[in-house]
Amino acid sequence: MDQYPDEHEEFELQYQDEMELLEDMPHEYDAVDDGPSTSHQAAAALEQQQQQQKPGANASTAAAAIKDVSRFSNPTLSSPQLSQISFGATQTDAGGGGHVNRRLFGTPRGPTVGRGCSTPLQRMPAIEEVANITVDNETPLPNAASEQLQELGLRGTNKRRLERDLFGDIDDLYHESYEDPMVKKARTEEQRDNEAIERILELRRKLRETSKTVRHDDVSRLRALHDFKMKNLSYDIPSWPFLALQRSDLERLYVRFHSEDYERRQLELLSARGDLIGSLLGEAKQQVWQEANELVLRRLAPATQPVNAAADPSSPDMGRLWVDKYKPRKYIDLLSDEMTNRSLLYWLKMWDKVVFGKVFHSKQEQQAANTGASGAQQLNSFNKRTGKFESNGGWRQRKARQALNTNVDELGRPMQKVALLCGPPGLGKTTLAHTIARHAGYNVREINASDDRSPEAFKLALENGTQMSSVLNQDKRPNCIVLDEIDGAPRQSIEYLVKFVSDGIFSKVKAKGAKAEHNVLRRPIICICNDIYDPALRPLRQIAFVVNFPPIDSARLAERLVQIAKKEHLKTDFGSLIALAEKSGNDVRSCISSMQFFNVQKHSLTLQDVLNNNLGQKDRHQGLFDVWGAVFRIQRPKKQLQQSSSNNPEEPVQVTMTNMSVATRVRNVLDVVHSSGDYERLTQGVYENYLQQKMPDPNFTGICEALQWFCFSDTLQHQISRQQSYSIYPYLQYGFVVWHLLFATLAWPKIAFPTRGFEFNQKYTNQRNIFLSLRKGVTTSAQGVGQGNTLLLDTVPLLKRILSPQLRSVAVQLLSQKEQYDLRHTIQVMVDLGLTFVQVKSAEGHYVFQTEPDLDTLCAFPGYTGLTLPYFSRQLIAREVDLERIRRAAPKGDQAAATKSSAAAPVAVTKQKPVAARLPNHLQTLKPKQITDFNAPKQQLTKDFFGRVTHKTSAASAAEEVKTDAIVKSPIWYRYKEGFNNAVRKDVHLNELL
Amino acid sequence: MALWVDKYRPRELSKLDYHKDQAENLRNLCKQSDFPHLMFYGPSGAGKKTRIMCLLREMYGAGVERLRNETMSFTTPSNRKIEVMTVGSNYHLEVNPSDAGMYDRTVVIDLIKQVAQTHQIDINGQREFKVIVISEGDELTKDAQHALRRTMEKYVATCRIILSVNSTSRIIPAIRSRCLGIRVPAPSENEMTAVLQSTCKREGLVLPPELAKRVVEKSERNMRRALLMLEASKVQQYPFTAQQQIAELDWQVYLRETATQIVSEQTPAKLEKIRDRLYELLSQGVPPNLIFRGLVEQLVNNCDMSIKAKTLEYATQYEHRMQNGAKHIFHLEAFVAQFMNIYKKFLAELVMTDDF
Repeated sequence: MDQYPDEHEEFELQYQDEMELLEDMPHEYDAVDDGPSTSHQAAAALEQQQQQQKPGANASTAAAAIKDVSRFSNPTLSSPQLSQISFGATQTDAGGGGHVNRRLFGTPRGPTVGRGCSTPLQRMPAIEEVANITVDNETPLPNAASEQLQELGLRGTNKRRLERDLFGDIDDLYHESYEDPMVKKARTEEQRDNEAIERILELRRKLRETSKTVRHDDVSRLRALHDFKMKNLSYDIPSWPFLALQRSDLERLYVRFHSEDYERRQLELLSARGDLIGSLLGEAKQQVWQEANELVLRRLAPATQPVNAAADPSSPDMGRLWVDKYKPRKYIDLLSDEMTNRSLLYWLKMWDKVVFGKVFHSKQEQQAANTGASGAQQLNSFNKRTGKFESNGGWRQRKARQALNTNVDELGRPMQKVALLCGPPGLGKTTLAHTIARHAGYNVREINASDDRSPEAFKLALENGTQMSSVLNQDKRPNCIVLDEIDGAPRQSIEYLVKFVSDGIFSKVKAKGAKAEHNVLRRPIICICNDIYDPALRPLRQIAFVVNFPPIDSARLAERLVQIAKKEHLKTDFGSLIALAEKSGNDVRSCISSMQFFNVQKHSLTLQDVLNNNLGQKDRHQGLFDVWGAVFRIQRPKKQLQQSSSNNPEEPVQVTMTNMSVATRVRNVLDVVHSSGDYERLTQGVYENYLQQKMPDPNFTGICEALQWFCFSDTLQHQISRQQSYSIYPYLQYGFVVWHLLFATLAWPKIAFPTRGFEFNQKYTNQRNIFLSLRKGVTTSAQGVGQGNTLLLDTVPLLKRILSPQLRSVAVQLLSQKEQYDLRHTIQVMVDLGLTFVQVKSAEGHYVFQTEPDLDTLCAFPGYTGLTLPYFSRQLIAREVDLERIRRAAPKGDQAAATKSSAAAPVAVTKQKPVAARLPNHLQTLKPKQITDFNAPKQQLTKDFFGRVTHKTSAASAAEEVKTDAIVKSPIWYRYKEGFNNAVRKDVHLNELL
Repeated sequence: MALWVDKYRPRELSKLDYHKDQAENLRNLCKQSDFPHLMFYGPSGAGKKTRIMCLLREMYGAGVERLRNETMSFTTPSNRKIEVMTVGSNYHLEVNPSDAGMYDRTVVIDLIKQVAQTHQIDINGQREFKVIVISEGDELTKDAQHALRRTMEKYVATCRIILSVNSTSRIIPAIRSRCLGIRVPAPSENEMTAVLQSTCKREGLVLPPELAKRVVEKSERNMRRALLMLEASKVQQYPFTAQQQIAELDWQVYLRETATQIVSEQTPAKLEKIRDRLYELLSQGVPPNLIFRGLVEQLVNNCDMSIKAKTLEYATQYEHRMQNGAKHIFHLEAFVAQFMNIYKKFLAELVMTDDF
């Protein structure tokens, strides 16, 4: 009912090259005024309002009601209610007029009873009856009843026109199924008419009953009526001028034509009887004519004239919230950014292929769809069309900020199957989603925070919404799920949603016939959230078509507010509305609510009011940069507001936004900081930026003070996190005030996002990990290097030098004595500390040898050399270290053999000379006598078999230990068995046997 | 055992190079049946760990030297897994709870208690208790120290705890009173020179006395550091010369340069550069209190007598505050800025007095 398509928008709509898109939506211009009237609720609500308004008032008759209504009506803005009422009145009036109107409005053969007052004669007494009802508490009822009567009589016609003109009705209740509107229409309309008739009869009966008690001059009136009838109506051709009419029972009637003089006389007569009725016939008739003319005019030029039916004059209702009342009902009413609206609509239209089986783009197709043509033709032309609309997506290419993937998958669905609207509250996200979904022909199913959103319930709702359609409801529109306030939903639910949305494809691939088909998502889902960076939304964000809601331009919002103010007769000016818009952060909802509040309070809204009230202020979440900006910047005086206040002479002088005193600044900073709340990050941001600010601070006093506060807030934060003493949390914000007072300038500050703290943390963790792995590798033989910080601070820096011997790049054998010693030493140290060189590919692409764990990065300061080993030495050491490792890992007995066999390690030979003196195992077995020498003590040893015994003997004599160890510990045992012949291969010559 | 630090480490109490009286006392302590909990305290590199190992060897014999590395993992109440490396023999167990960071309480509760509860099976061992060596005990959080209190009393029959700490001030009084404190002072310069000389002799090297003296000076009477420096110098250049360059610790040099820069220029831009350097030091794992100390030492050396006291006063103030905070960089920078402030004022006054 309300719509304020401003001229600007209108122009935009008309002349943009993407008109097709807009054309796509049903033309509702000519239907707007009928829209609400088709719904029972709307009518009922209206009546209620009227009832509410009237109790106690003297003018309680139907006529008065109409008069009331007409007084409120803006002649250019016709309301649906009014038009109905007056339409009914037209018919009661002179028959000729009624005839014309009927044809004009396309109302054929309405049931006579349903019309309620097909002849003036029948109509008159009813009106008179009502008029004479005395004022008592019961009055609203008959009054309402009569009103309803009139409306019901009209509903059929209005409804019909609506359906014919509209494809996408805004009213769900009475909309007919999408597939075959023509077939259904006839039947349903008939039913509805019957219903209406019944209701009217019922209402009329009620009316009679209630008014029976107050009927006093029944008989005289009936007689007068009869006289009137006799004078003006005739079945035969009368002598007076007439107009021929045909009744529903095909009986021909002749209605008398009166001259204007007569008419006036009659009216005067009537008004003499009761002025209320007089006014009814006089003013109401004029009103009706006006209305009718306007309707005709509007019908003739529907596109050019913006229809402002919204100013529902009949309801200066107090009970209804303006926010609801002036809620956009149609696409063109939307106040939000046009780009946003378009992109969302475009996305939704991309679903048409799947949902409706038609391509949305073309105009002809749109018309064809409207007339209910089957989708087969469109399907054929689909491929061709897609090629077309992908190439000519003009506005999408111009502004690519909304990343809408225009590709479709094999089913013809858009690649992004979920749209995610995000933006601060009060911008109309929910309204947009609902409007656009209805607009595109969907039935909106909303799931919001008030619903149960546990994973199970969520699952159920999703599946129901996407795979079923309502059977009880006559409405056969497909569903579109709107998940409102999704950022509050549990994480599991969102994960399920993501799976649900993306899973469709996979289960399709699995291809299990009908079952798999069910899993494919075939309905669009729109999600709405405030904070898109909510961690729970991360998976959704990646797959969704994200629509960011830019804030509404405050001038545009103010324009709309002006319109509303005009409708509601609120005294205000543009400047204060702009101030209101700015103050509320361009929150439409809070603006309108504030206006309503002021309207109720004193019917005016001034700049003073806006500035002096905390209306519209709320906890707005501000970006970090805004907060930092507020800390480092002194707000400039706002000139615009000053002007508007000075323009208005009534405004008191003390209205100043320019007051930038310290107190104001302090309050400002506190407000801003408080609204953000993430003190730790804010502090870090200030810390990393404050030195860049321009400040005259030669003695460092300011910086010192600032740093004192940094220390203070750090201490506080530490205590809070350690002891959970959040009672000291509020003190954190005062640091920002000090920083503001110290460093804020009028210039625009350059603020960089604080990364140092984060980088520091990362580097620290990295270093710590390297250090831990180094520490883990230290073997027991190198405990002297210390643990913890000692290892890191004392040992590591020096270790780098110890591990950097100067080696010439020659073969190992050619190294000098010192070099060999150094090399050996290096190898030993590295093995002790568990270090190796490994070959890795550097960032430049060539191979380098790096210590593992990476010693070079530990304790590495810019400008200081780490390991100075050249590539060759590293390679050499790497190999030697590996060999040494193997050697150490080998059992002790084998070590000597291993050292001998490895010719590449001449260094080791020198070192292991004492070990080499001990004979290897296999050689020992060849000297059985040596063992037999020690047979006697060895017998004792073997008695207690376990190693512990040898341990004891080790204390006894060292010389013994060496030899016994060699046998006891060696993994291979040989035992000579006497009397047993081992087969030994030996060459035997024949002559030895002979 | 390739590093000299390990190679020439005294293994027995009788072979210790210095603090011989103390060694005698320790040996006597072992002979007594009532071996108490011990707390060795002294600066880093003084020989605390060496003495602990010698003491253990004195008690248990050579078996103590059969060390093995073990990595134990624990699950904290918050379900985080932490790993702690332990070194132990049959007779003792050495842990460094600072490996676990802020979860060291779990280590104390789980590991130490578990070890303390188990009885020694080997009857042949001289002692019926095990020893738990906690190195870097002053890194234990207060929570962990409190957890340790009761354990120390309750399982005194089966285990003794030897703490090795740098400063007793960070040990809660309850623990301090339960332990016999043994102070291990840093060796004197002469003692250190002697150790260096004997080490070189055993390696078959010739060490000029001047170089030895310089190494000792550089090492700040830290034995470990001195030996490592000597070894690094040896790798860099052998035969030794008296004036050869001695390897220094990078972070100390870096810190010294930072201090020089602070004195050289006092502008916000410089302060920002200093901040970068401080961040660098911190991220390399240099503890903030060491940074504080290094800075103050250098600054006090480089500034006029009249502002020395003030510098120290501010340093103490900011360092104390730092202990109560978590973001060390704030406090470090605050101190630097404060120094810049007083230094600038001092310079300005100097100019003014010169004028008149």
